[in-house]
Amino acid sequence: MRIRPAATIIRLAKLASLASLTALAAATGACTNVQPWERDLHARVDMQPNAHDAAIDDHIYFSKEASSGGRGFAGGGCGCN
Amino acid sequence: MQLKKKPIGGKLAAATCSLLGALPSTPVVAQEAGDWDIDTSLLYYGESDGRVTDVSLDASVRRAFDEDRALNFSLTVDSLTGATPNGAVPANTLQTFTGASGNNSYTAQPGELPLDPTFLDTRVALSGGWQQPIGENSRWNVGFSTSHEYDYLHLGVNTRYEHDFNLKNTTAYVGLAFAQDDIEPVGGAPIGLTPMLAERDDDDDDGDDFRGGGDQSKDVIDALIGVTQLLGRRDLIEVSYTYGQSDGYLTDPYKILSVVDPVTGVPVAGPVGGTPYLYLWEHRPDSRTKQTGFVEWRHAFDRDSLALSARYMTDDWGVDSQTVETRYRWNINERSYLEPHLRWYTQSAADFYRTVLFDGDQLPEYASADQRLADFDAYTVGAKYGRRTDYGEFSLRVEYYRQEGDPSPGSAVGDLAGFELLPPLTAYIVQFGYKFRL
Repeated sequence: MRIRPAATIIRLAKLASLASLTALAAATGACTNVQPWERDLHARVDMQPNAHDAAIDDHIYFSKEASSGGRGFAGGGCGCN
Repeated sequence: MQLKKKPIGGKLAAATCSLLGALPSTPVVAQEAGDWDIDTSLLYYGESDGRVTDVSLDASVRRAFDEDRALNFSLTVDSLTGATPNGAVPANTLQTFTGASGNNSYTAQPGELPLDPTFLDTRVALSGGWQQPIGENSRWNVGFSTSHEYDYLHLGVNTRYEHDFNLKNTTAYVGLAFAQDDIEPVGGAPIGLTPMLAERDDDDDDGDDFRGGGDQSKDVIDALIGVTQLLGRRDLIEVSYTYGQSDGYLTDPYKILSVVDPVTGVPVAGPVGGTPYLYLWEHRPDSRTKQTGFVEWRHAFDRDSLALSARYMTDDWGVDSQTVETRYRWNINERSYLEPHLRWYTQSAADFYRTVLFDGDQLPEYASADQRLADFDAYTVGAKYGRRTDYGEFSLRVEYYRQEGDPSPGSAVGDLAGFELLPPLTAYIVQFGYKFRL
């Protein structure tokens, strides 16, 4: 009994990637510049990544799965059990 | 509110730069020059069925000297206890295994998944970095990382250059990391696909080369390229690509494979001087190339925010994986927030993954029964609650992780069909956090 068919997850991931890349292409193509005075929301604390928790999560998943990295350099440096 | 005191440049930097980092830096927005920002946590990670438990203390320190100059350090101390699957499959008889040093042994009862209870480990990891501006629109980061366990030493350096374009709406970055790891397994590294030997009568527990392969090492190089793009006032996207090359000893020196009869599934007898049943040490290729694509989208609502990311990884071991992760930050009021978190993960098995080896078959060049190289799906569900006080921010994070593969893969012949060869792994993660400024 699997948690969820792998194919569904793959489709979800591909869809998310596709949607994001399309959005990026559209944005760079249109060059819709955000002006300095329009960055109040981007500057909010909750719009920043949480480096501390991300490092902890990366180490846990690196120890239990065959993948690592993505948010920068891969973790590493352990003979994990 | 602290934001109002910040110069506009600080907001700019926060908006455009803070997604970047070997791991993302502590938010620029949360800092004033001359302050030390300290993020600490106590983490409990516990697997079910008496498997691995980890208690970890983490502290990250960052000091910003001005908008783009900053120093950061991070220290982690892990204490690991419990038992971990050794790679062998259950049997209808008692199974006896030799500890890595050769001076002890442990058993698995009939029907029980063999777990190696002989590890007890403390890991200390330290990393740091310096960010320096170069001209008006560029920054250069240099950093190091090191970690130590009784049988493992990691040393790494990394660097990254980032440049802002387009009124700081776009930031592109490139990075390079190099690591050298030394592995000094208890009893020496085993020779791949040779039998596990019987316990020896030796009082000298000095970790001599009982298993014949001595000390080992590996090198890892990662190259990173990416871009962060603002998509209007509320949205932000980051796309990155990482190429990783590992060379050297990539085998797990403590994992084995059972050798069973191809019809009955019963373990075959061990050789003279070996364990009662035959187990072979696993053996992996000595190089691995990984490619990872990552995309993250962040959206700010008037009060809350949402982050959604996807990652695709493929390597030359035959492992393909997909990860989708999302966090919703519900800012309940000015002082407290709740952040639900969901993560899905799936991976295919490495080409050389085997649940067992069959007696009489020609030995493969490489083989591993490590569950981490199997075909499985996993999910994480959890939430974090945080509350700001006059003394700093306190938080509590609770998460549940479950990993599940095919419990009886195709090689489940005879007796093995009655066992869970790949039992699910479940774990709880509880993290207390305290963040403050000096």
